[in-house]
Amino acid sequence: MTDRGLVDRLAELAVVVGANVQAGQVVTVGANIGQGKLARAIAEQAYRRGARFVDVSYFDPYVKRARIELAAQDTLDGVPSWYRARVRALAETRSARISLAGPTEPEALRGLDPDRLGRDQLPWLNEWMEVIQSRTVNWTVVPCPTEDWARLCFPELPEPAAVERLRREIAHVCRLDEPDPATAWRARAAELGQVGARVSELRLDALHLQGPGTDLTIGLLPSSSWLSAKATTVDGLEHLPNVPTEEVFTSPDPERVDGHVRSTRPLVLADGTLVRGLEVRFERGRAVAIEADEGAAVLRGRAVQDEGAGRLGEVALVDRSSRVGRLETVFYETLLDENAASHLALGDGFREAVDEDDAARVNRSGIHVDFMVGCAELDVTGITRDGRRLPLLRDGAWQI
Amino acid sequence: MSGDDLARLAELAVAVGANVQPGQVVGVTAEYDQHEFARAVAAAAYRRGARFVDVWYFDPLVKRARIALAGEDTLDYVPPWYGERVLSLGRERAAVISIRGSTVPGALDGLDPARAGRDQLPFLRESMTVINDRSVNWTVVAYPSPAWARLCFPELSEDEALARLWRELLHVCRLDEPDPLAAWDERLDVLARTARALDAARFDAVHLEGPGTDLTLGLLPSSTWQMARWETAGGIRHLPNVPTEEVFTTPDPERVDGHVRSTRPLVLADGTVVRGIEIRFEGGRAVEIRADEGGGVLQGRAAIDEGACRVGELALVDRESRIGRLGTTFFETLLDENAASHIALGAGIAFAVADEADRSRVNTSAIHIDLMVGSPEVDVTGITAAGERVPVLREGAWQLPAVHEA
Repeated sequence: MTDRGLVDRLAELAVVVGANVQAGQVVTVGANIGQGKLARAIAEQAYRRGARFVDVSYFDPYVKRARIELAAQDTLDGVPSWYRARVRALAETRSARISLAGPTEPEALRGLDPDRLGRDQLPWLNEWMEVIQSRTVNWTVVPCPTEDWARLCFPELPEPAAVERLRREIAHVCRLDEPDPATAWRARAAELGQVGARVSELRLDALHLQGPGTDLTIGLLPSSSWLSAKATTVDGLEHLPNVPTEEVFTSPDPERVDGHVRSTRPLVLADGTLVRGLEVRFERGRAVAIEADEGAAVLRGRAVQDEGAGRLGEVALVDRSSRVGRLETVFYETLLDENAASHLALGDGFREAVDEDDAARVNRSGIHVDFMVGCAELDVTGITRDGRRLPLLRDGAWQI
Repeated sequence: MSGDDLARLAELAVAVGANVQPGQVVGVTAEYDQHEFARAVAAAAYRRGARFVDVWYFDPLVKRARIALAGEDTLDYVPPWYGERVLSLGRERAAVISIRGSTVPGALDGLDPARAGRDQLPFLRESMTVINDRSVNWTVVAYPSPAWARLCFPELSEDEALARLWRELLHVCRLDEPDPLAAWDERLDVLARTARALDAARFDAVHLEGPGTDLTLGLLPSSTWQMARWETAGGIRHLPNVPTEEVFTTPDPERVDGHVRSTRPLVLADGTVVRGIEIRFEGGRAVEIRADEGGGVLQGRAAIDEGACRVGELALVDRESRIGRLGTTFFETLLDENAASHIALGAGIAFAVADEADRSRVNTSAIHIDLMVGSPEVDVTGITAAGERVPVLREGAWQLPAVHEA
């Protein structure tokens, strides 16, 4: 596949299937310096679909580095008012949003003081969470292959081979190697939708995760229901928030999480910090101990940022038919890695996963950090209100 | 270019150009491929104590996609948050640094000029508001890109062209002086004396005469001559352009008559190159605009609103300009306008008139496009209210005696 071919096809997938851009919409694209090629291709595809304006905003991790290194300590959590106003305006104007994922410039934030780094969350803004919850924006996140990313995933390969392999694997997990990717995604989204509906019908009281280094019980809220790939805006626009997506997920009871859990894949935070070998112990919902082989301090900084940052907002189950999981590549990118394996998220939960009575109980936070805990050896068991144990995942396969 | 040159150019932009103050927010506008310099500017600003550096990257190739593909009726739409950011920078009393030097010259080549003319980005009309109310200390600086260097020096290899552009830019920015700050002070003092001498002469009009040019521009009764060392309303000194070599005023938009020929090419904000411009004015309006190249886009701009075809600025540049003496055409208004006397179509400069009564007569428009019309062959003559003709520039040299009295 030529580079041009992949970039154009990814752009079309993002615009047509991911965000489902409508004629007359403003489309905002969030990209890093280094992702210009795909951002421009997305602008072209969006204008072809009749977009009114495509607002590409580029984030530069090296400008962030200059801030963390040089700015006064007491300024590091400040964000200009217009950053927040812009995000709210996107919701008010019912804009579409396409974010590009994938590491660029992995060295940009290396060696910085984790305390200082933890205080600056950009490019993340809490207002995005409000926009997502309000379902006013048809949004998607798609992967953007770059040379930097290829080197990170496949350090043992010479660069051209690494780039080629990353491109091939991204094409595969995005189903761009199917004759009709849009139809392939409709079919997979329907499948995941059925799984979510069946688990929801079990009206489970809790989940039990058991595997190497993991023994964790996660209480669910009375009305917790399981969501998947497809989302719908308040105006009825269907979109796929993540491309690719392989998960079914819900928001747990943030007061009833007990035990310990070990991550099965590395995770990369929004600012590029790598966290490996994570171990978290929970007591009555709170993460009371966070250890890791690498990156623990930055994650601890995040987890104390607000009251909800040390509690769970999401539990997601991924079965072994996931194209991402079957590749066994570690992508160092949550968008892909979270779809390889069952995972949990510290921080903000999904109000749309519960009914109105429980909405106030869903965890709230300015952060949402996914970490992968699933693997073939992890058994996932449902516990009903009357204490029965129902196998959900064994050897990575659905048991329901 | 060495890393040292990059850092010195960034330091000049931050310390001399914008004069960033501790605790200020700094807005930076850069093109996608200028990120190396934008990062150096951010680092220099944080070293001076900036509170936050907000870099807005503009991508000329995203603009190309729009001009090529977007619906006709959407082309002049700008999302409200673009202008809101600029007005917020004003309310915050921020510093603003814009980086010039096209990274993709000809980004819009082959597209319909009428469509291209309707999209003014990255220019925003709100910028004129915060400039006119003097709420931000701002500067415009240039940064050499390989593509820009090729445009300036097509006869050189790519490496040589880039090295030469760096050398010339460091020279015109006086960064090859032992003490660039002192060199700038000295030059700016000459420009300040020139502006005072022009004010003292109280001209009613200015007459430009040279090959292809015979143009009379009336001034407003209280038009004053300015040079580009400014102060914000809060008293922060800054250089709006680095480099700067001009003294300028805002004319009477109703009293411009005759014809004028450009003496250097101009590159519009979107990268369109306009060469060989000829404009005829009647009663202040540009009634005829033609050019050897790029005329269509310029005509589009001049029709964007009522004031776009009238003159908002008249600027005089003498032969001591470092840019003029180089003889290089930079295809970049920031540099080329400082090589030669020029006029601007569009928005005037409200603070360049002294009386409140004249303020409402200053031209208003969403555009401001500088056209270079000066050369050693263009005589500049002041005309007093009594009809007396006073030589101002001959062979590029100031003729007003007070200019030369230190």
